[in-house]
Amino acid sequence: MKSLFGRAVHALSRIGDEIWLEPLQKGSVLPLFRSVATIERSVYRCEISINVLNNRVMFQFNCKHGITKTHNLRYQECEALQAVFPTHLCPNILKSQPKLLSDVVMHFPTSQEEITLSISPIKVKFKSYFEEENDHIRSVCTEMSVHPDEFDYFQVGVDSEATFCLKELRGLLSFAETHGLPVSVHFGAPGRPVSFSVEDMVLEAVVVLSTLVIAASENPSQVSIVQEAPVPRNISDVCPASTPIADNSVANISKHEGPLEAEVACVPSENSTFPLGEQVASSQGSPVFFPASFHMKNLLQLHREEMDLLRPKGMHSLLFGAVSSSMADGIASELPSLVCASDTEDDAGDDGVRVEE
Amino acid sequence: MKFRAKINDVGCLNHFTRVLNTITKLTKTCVLRLTVDNVYFVLSGKVANGGVSMWCELLQVNFFDEYQLEGVSSEANEICLEVAPENLSRALKTAQNAKSVKIKLTKKHCPCLTLAAELPSLSSIGRIVTHDIPVDIIPRRLWHDFKEPTMPDFDVSIYLPPLKTMKSVVDRMKNLSNYLVVEANLNGEMNLKIETDLVSVTTHFRDLGNPPWGDNAVQSQSRDVETMAHARVDIRKLQQFLMGQQVNPNKSMCNSALYIWICIQEGSYFLLHADIVDKRIIHLILLQEDVSLQYFIPAVA
Repeated sequence: MKSLFGRAVHALSRIGDEIWLEPLQKGSVLPLFRSVATIERSVYRCEISINVLNNRVMFQFNCKHGITKTHNLRYQECEALQAVFPTHLCPNILKSQPKLLSDVVMHFPTSQEEITLSISPIKVKFKSYFEEENDHIRSVCTEMSVHPDEFDYFQVGVDSEATFCLKELRGLLSFAETHGLPVSVHFGAPGRPVSFSVEDMVLEAVVVLSTLVIAASENPSQVSIVQEAPVPRNISDVCPASTPIADNSVANISKHEGPLEAEVACVPSENSTFPLGEQVASSQGSPVFFPASFHMKNLLQLHREEMDLLRPKGMHSLLFGAVSSSMADGIASELPSLVCASDTEDDAGDDGVRVEE
Repeated sequence: MKFRAKINDVGCLNHFTRVLNTITKLTKTCVLRLTVDNVYFVLSGKVANGGVSMWCELLQVNFFDEYQLEGVSSEANEICLEVAPENLSRALKTAQNAKSVKIKLTKKHCPCLTLAAELPSLSSIGRIVTHDIPVDIIPRRLWHDFKEPTMPDFDVSIYLPPLKTMKSVVDRMKNLSNYLVVEANLNGEMNLKIETDLVSVTTHFRDLGNPPWGDNAVQSQSRDVETMAHARVDIRKLQQFLMGQQVNPNKSMCNSALYIWICIQEGSYFLLHADIVDKRIIHLILLQEDVSLQYFIPAVA
């Protein structure tokens, strides 16, 4: 489990700079898990606990040779927001072994920011996307086509495309490959979010990315951010990406261009095997599942610190949820919802997300 | 202008990729000259690259299973493009297990070399990856800059020691000085020297052997075998050349497939004595079965 957690932290770190740890914890955790190989070799046990009085979260590593390393990190409480992404309503669904997607993604240079995933009944295509005309002219444009037969599950409800940031996907893919977890992709019309998810007995990870609306499309994305604490918690939540929210109330954000945030209700797949917790109807009407025991659960959420507000498009909202299976009691506590007002450093108020050390 | 070529053989593909990796390490941008028989990667000596020039020649039949070219015109049946070799090597890098790789000249938003690789897949239908690599077409009036270099009138020609050894010596010397003196004689001896205010270091190589240049037999005979001809060069340029050489792991350095010459040209061809005042150039030649690479490093005062 410790290496899973360490790797999870690594995967998330490729997405953003902060980790949101349940409950209500936040801090700079990555350095503690910097070398996954070293951790696997020398650390027997990792215990995470909070000292509310001192405002510290403690990571204690019990290592070989009787060494114990203790790290105390400051944390900051913050308000949580939830979003709802009804994956079961997505017309286009792909599921494959992580290697397939990794094999595709490796053909794109690491400097490639965004790619477009297009789907039709006869093929799935991944192509470099360039926002600026200048970039396009001098850069290598890469395109890769994969036949639908290569996917473990292939459903195309509507011929569509999704343009999103590649970096986040790479992070999730390397995590998925290490653990051999199949990756599911859910998306719909251009402008609607795309979600990449993996799950197994002990964890579920969902990365929801906003997508670009290509100029030709007439479909402005309209989104609302739901929430206010406390609210039934979802396993996966989404952070609104590019728009600051004035207050914590439900905000309607619509943009003419580009993606943004999605109304996302995290719904585990129909055949979720989580035995814990109970089903609670969410405000969107879709069933929502949340883990029973607050304390046993680790939920990681990462923000990108340098979210460019001036860039109305371009992705960037995602999160990663990991659930421990060892839940002791079945009591559902009222969990505050997840944070996620805005990613900008300029945000004032307690809904900001900051790294504090 | 048309160009289409295809590689079906994995060995040829690997070899072509290795050549491109070498070129990529030598220069950020170069001229790709395509003729009916050959493919050349050319860098003409300009101030911008420190006067270094490069000429790499490939016999096209040894790499491509299909090759069709229609040059600029019937009398000038070739195509000259400026390209960043890194784009090509990166595109080839992930296609090493391809069933086939096609390269063609296309026009997208600008002239491009489009590389299309058919990759193995889990289904009966292969995966296709294409890379559109932007290029600049070089007009005919500039072609004279990219002609095959003439062999310099050298004073001494010598076989180099194993590249790995030479590279490690040069790497360490680079920490001490920006300039390196390469000297060699017709007795198979070569020295690499650096000299600063604080320290001078010389590495001596013996029994290297000198290639028998027929044309220069007369000159060789009249030259004292012990006399060193030398040239002082920018050490980074030499290091760059050494770094770029990828030895085929299947062939040892002693194998006859790999030969390197170093020619040190002194001031004047007609000098009978080793007058080592005006040094001109080091000419490195790498010859393999299908590829020859010449690299010229000018001497500095």
